[in-house]
Amino acid sequence: MSRERIRALLRKELLDLARNPTALVPVAIITVFSLVLPFLLTVAVPAFAGRGLGEDAGLLRITAAAHPPAALSDDARVQFFLFEQFLVLFLLTPVTGALVLAAHAVVGEKQARALEPLLATPITTIELLAAKLFGAAIPTFAISFAGLALYAGGMLTFGEPGVALAMINVRSLLLVLWLAPAAGLVSLQSAVLISSRVSDPRTAQQWGVLIIAPLSGLFIAQLMGSLWFSAKVLAVIGLGLLVVWILLLLFSVAIFERETILTRWT
Amino acid sequence: MISASHLSRRFGSRTAVNDVTFEVARSEIVALLGPNGAGKTTTLRMLAGLIGPTSGTVAIDGVQLTRATGTALRTRIGFLPEAPGLWDRLTVRENLRTYAGLYGLTDADPRIDRALDTFALSDRASTRAAELSKGMRQKVALVRTLLHDPAILLLDEPTSGLDPEVTRSVRLLLDERRQAGCAILVSTHNLDEAERLADRVAVLQERLVAIDRPAELRRRLTTGRLIIRVAGDPAAFVDTIGRIVGPAAAISVERETLVVRVAHPERQTPALVAALVEAQAQIMEVRAETPALEDVYMHLVGTGGLGD
Repeated sequence: MSRERIRALLRKELLDLARNPTALVPVAIITVFSLVLPFLLTVAVPAFAGRGLGEDAGLLRITAAAHPPAALSDDARVQFFLFEQFLVLFLLTPVTGALVLAAHAVVGEKQARALEPLLATPITTIELLAAKLFGAAIPTFAISFAGLALYAGGMLTFGEPGVALAMINVRSLLLVLWLAPAAGLVSLQSAVLISSRVSDPRTAQQWGVLIIAPLSGLFIAQLMGSLWFSAKVLAVIGLGLLVVWILLLLFSVAIFERETILTRWT
Repeated sequence: MISASHLSRRFGSRTAVNDVTFEVARSEIVALLGPNGAGKTTTLRMLAGLIGPTSGTVAIDGVQLTRATGTALRTRIGFLPEAPGLWDRLTVRENLRTYAGLYGLTDADPRIDRALDTFALSDRASTRAAELSKGMRQKVALVRTLLHDPAILLLDEPTSGLDPEVTRSVRLLLDERRQAGCAILVSTHNLDEAERLADRVAVLQERLVAIDRPAELRRRLTTGRLIIRVAGDPAAFVDTIGRIVGPAAAISVERETLVVRVAHPERQTPALVAALVEAQAQIMEVRAETPALEDVYMHLVGTGGLGD
């Protein structure tokens, strides 16, 4: 495997994206949504209603699953719980990236008639797929981490005293630095795989929507309070996702058929 | 040297290429001719290792092109597809730099500068590919193909869409590459280009109908008509000619020329000339009528072959 070839194609991917920033708008919108929704529900709504979050006994009861620090007030405990729950929203950013960027990765090149000269170079399948994957992952993760920085800033500014500091815990860090990248790689890799098997970007996106399904289920279950993953479980899920990603990468390479991609148009 | 041995390719029930065998030697240009759908692009793609043959083999300097050898062998091939396939949002230089990286070229920028200069594209280096005309895009694609100094060039209609001046510069460049030892296979619909450029012409129509030097192909389709131009009245020499080629031979007078159909031009022409000289004819011109390459091509794709 040649790192130089991966770098060359990756540089092209990033340059291409830099010249077409509108492609990142859906990713940015999802990030903004992931930012606005938590603060709307945990800060704005209670302020408008004139009723603290801690006054809801039911809500207060389910916060126990998050093991909030004992020093936090009732309002802060609920806010801490909700901020932890909404952190999962940031998993949606790479999925959106997968849909808008990775889904175009291979089939987009084909439609632009740029795939044929590219495949005529010494680039190997794994180098091509790696460059395409990272070409979608780098901007997506950059936006995602920028969103997370704003999320932290928002908690510091608008959160109840002690909440922002309490959020710096093993579970949050695992979610942000371990599970989110692993889930991102899986969704992006899935989208690249789909992109190499279909004949137009629209079909790739339609199939790509399926990537959202498991994450949406997870998110809804979390919000309903029926699911709470401990740090240990998150670590195991993250590890599992990384294994899935590696398997998906190998599978993508195995089923990547240069000639089918070049010659099939239906 | 690149060789194709019994190459066949089927797509489902359709046969695109059927049992094609030929080779292109170093310092040789072979023009691949054939009607649309004759299998030219498929053949080029198989030779470039982009698609595998259903049967048969491709070898480069004796090394068979396979999945295992493909990566290494592709460094020696320059492939120009039918469509330029540039990345529209990238500038000309960025397009070329990416390919320089893919070929592992360490001296990318000086190479790119030289190549752009050769094609008079230096002032377009910072132009985005989307803003280039069709001809310019084709030129940039050619630069990209030649950037890594490949030993083998596979070009799918390289002068398509280019103006006559650029077409000529491409021909000159290919001639230079041939002199530098390149083996070059060019697919074209331009018969004049094929004749001017190629050492040999291969006519493909699913199978290889003929492959030979253009002059030889023309000779094989000779009409057997001899054109003789003399000073004065040509009708005065009809009997003289009749004595050599036989009274049954078709002799006609067309303006100032005599047109004689002969069975064996190589054998009979010297005797004919000698007889005319003896008859004190002032001979201006004697030549065998040979068909244009276009006629040969039309005959080949119409009949599917030439007799030896």
